[in-house]
Amino acid sequence: MSRGTISITGVGKEFGTATVLDGVDLAIEGGSFVTLLGPSGCGKTTLLRLIAGFLEPSRGTIAIDGASMQGVPPRRRPLGMVFQNLALFPHLDVFENVAYGMRIRGTAASEIAARVSRFLGLVGLAGFERRRIGQLSGGQKQRVALARSLALEPAILLLDEPLSALDLQLRRQLQVELKSIQRQLATTFVFVTHDQEEATMLSDTIVVMNGGHVQQVGTPGEIYRRPASPFVARFVGDINMMDGRIEAVDARSVSVSVAGRAISVPRASVVGTASAGHACQLACRPESVRLEGTQADALSLEGRVTALHRLGPTVKAVLDTPLGPLTALAMADTPHVAELTEGKTARLFVPSDTFTLFAST
Amino acid sequence: MRGATSAPRGLGWLLLPALLVLALFLGSVALLLFHAFWGKDGFSLIYFRQILDRADYHDVFLRTVSIAAIVAVAAAVLAYPIAWLLWRLPRWRNLLLVIVLVPWLVSLVVRTYGWLVILGPKGFLNETLKWAGVIQSPLPLIFNDLGVVIGLTHVLMPFSVIATLSVLLQIDNRLEEASESLGAGGFETWRRIVLPLSLPGVFTGLGITFLTSMGAIVTPILLGGIRQKMAGTQIYQEVVYNFNMSKASAWAICLLLLSGLGLALLRALEAALVPKADR
Repeated sequence: MSRGTISITGVGKEFGTATVLDGVDLAIEGGSFVTLLGPSGCGKTTLLRLIAGFLEPSRGTIAIDGASMQGVPPRRRPLGMVFQNLALFPHLDVFENVAYGMRIRGTAASEIAARVSRFLGLVGLAGFERRRIGQLSGGQKQRVALARSLALEPAILLLDEPLSALDLQLRRQLQVELKSIQRQLATTFVFVTHDQEEATMLSDTIVVMNGGHVQQVGTPGEIYRRPASPFVARFVGDINMMDGRIEAVDARSVSVSVAGRAISVPRASVVGTASAGHACQLACRPESVRLEGTQADALSLEGRVTALHRLGPTVKAVLDTPLGPLTALAMADTPHVAELTEGKTARLFVPSDTFTLFAST
Repeated sequence: MRGATSAPRGLGWLLLPALLVLALFLGSVALLLFHAFWGKDGFSLIYFRQILDRADYHDVFLRTVSIAAIVAVAAAVLAYPIAWLLWRLPRWRNLLLVIVLVPWLVSLVVRTYGWLVILGPKGFLNETLKWAGVIQSPLPLIFNDLGVVIGLTHVLMPFSVIATLSVLLQIDNRLEEASESLGAGGFETWRRIVLPLSLPGVFTGLGITFLTSMGAIVTPILLGGIRQKMAGTQIYQEVVYNFNMSKASAWAICLLLLSGLGLALLRALEAALVPKADR
């Protein structure tokens, strides 16, 4: 078993009468990059603070590397934390901020100097030792906060939306660096964010949370391709959602009617238990809505283009179809797509196996 | 934002009270300088010489500065734990703040007489100690410098509490969490993070209490010894009993310079001790 595993079992948390987390079970593998993803108020920060020890769970247990963390204060847990506002010590310089944890432990001065310079090097801030915190840019502060919490070489690093205050370009750059640092150190990173793109780009595992519950745990690919609930489908990436009714269920496929049209979906695309007569939601990603060519096993529709956004290499088109408005994402350089204009009618195909059917249970 | 920076027309007269106060202030300062530097035959330093040439007055200055410094430090030391407690207990903060400030609702003279009742030769403390057999004759707790220090510290401590608390309240509590996550216990976090960041408030308190003590009149008159005068009481005596405005003005200017010197020293100490915190 590698260092830095976290097992969370049946954890719930109440503040007064408000339930913030309920029945959270989660196993985080040592050395992995895990993102807690969800809208604000979903309980992701609370879960992070429970792992850190700043809060105690109302129910359930949290164990790190097999040891229960119940009643263990934050300073005795084998973890570091990067705060949303970074919480750098304003009266200490960069060196002393990074050295802080080692000073508390009474590490020898020569060892402190060596480690500070190693970790400042790791985050690309070599030579910044004597800078004051107020003299640093947002990105540099970010790096100091990272170096400070990594300098004690914790088994686990908790990051509470640390990049949210930065502009997009810097954020992208730091994401790449964060990922590479995590790979080098093989430390478990638990990263809280509400940005699904950030989560997709950084994580080995994404934990999608909503309303105090874990909605789905999976790799970014799994979460995107096989969302476990309509919430996850909507939260991670764009998706077209249609309300329908299940008409018939057989061994290989499920027949659904949407706005009076029969659509056949393979059984493998069904989430939940499909039974005839029940309402359901049919979903497909915009890139599955094709504007070119033809396909044997596909839903074929005509639609009038109501909006057209050209985004560099791709085109996003909203089409008014008999099933309601559908968003399509296509490469811009194909002849058909290049000719599209608003108001024009186009033929579109959705391959049957790209649908996801959420059966209401 | 329209009209936010330029005053609306026709409302300039609202400045009148402020101008009146300013005029009175400048007028009295001019009068003070006139009294101090204008002798019978024009400009003169005679009144300053009357003060600076007397050894017993040197003692008065020394006592004034010493008492002010001791009071400032005592008030800061006593106020810090109270401010810390108020900061730590947000739920009780308002109530505790009222308790700290309530003595200010009572007149200074009454409060000072209160100390007479407690510290006097036949006061509560001495009688209790005598009754308990700890002492035979009353301790000289009052009508000396000790009495002045006790009285002034009591009166001025709330200033220190408020100055310290206001700075403590600006400290981001994530800093403490960060310190804790890096392995520091409560005391260590206080020593390395909270204390350095709250020192500017402590120094503000020191400045306020030092300056106020320097000019104290009522407390030294009521609680001090008859012969152990402070600069404030000396000025009071020149004005009220001797009607010597010129000498009183010279005293006041000396006191002002001495206060300025003390404050400059305090600033230098602060600059040396308090690391500059960037926010």
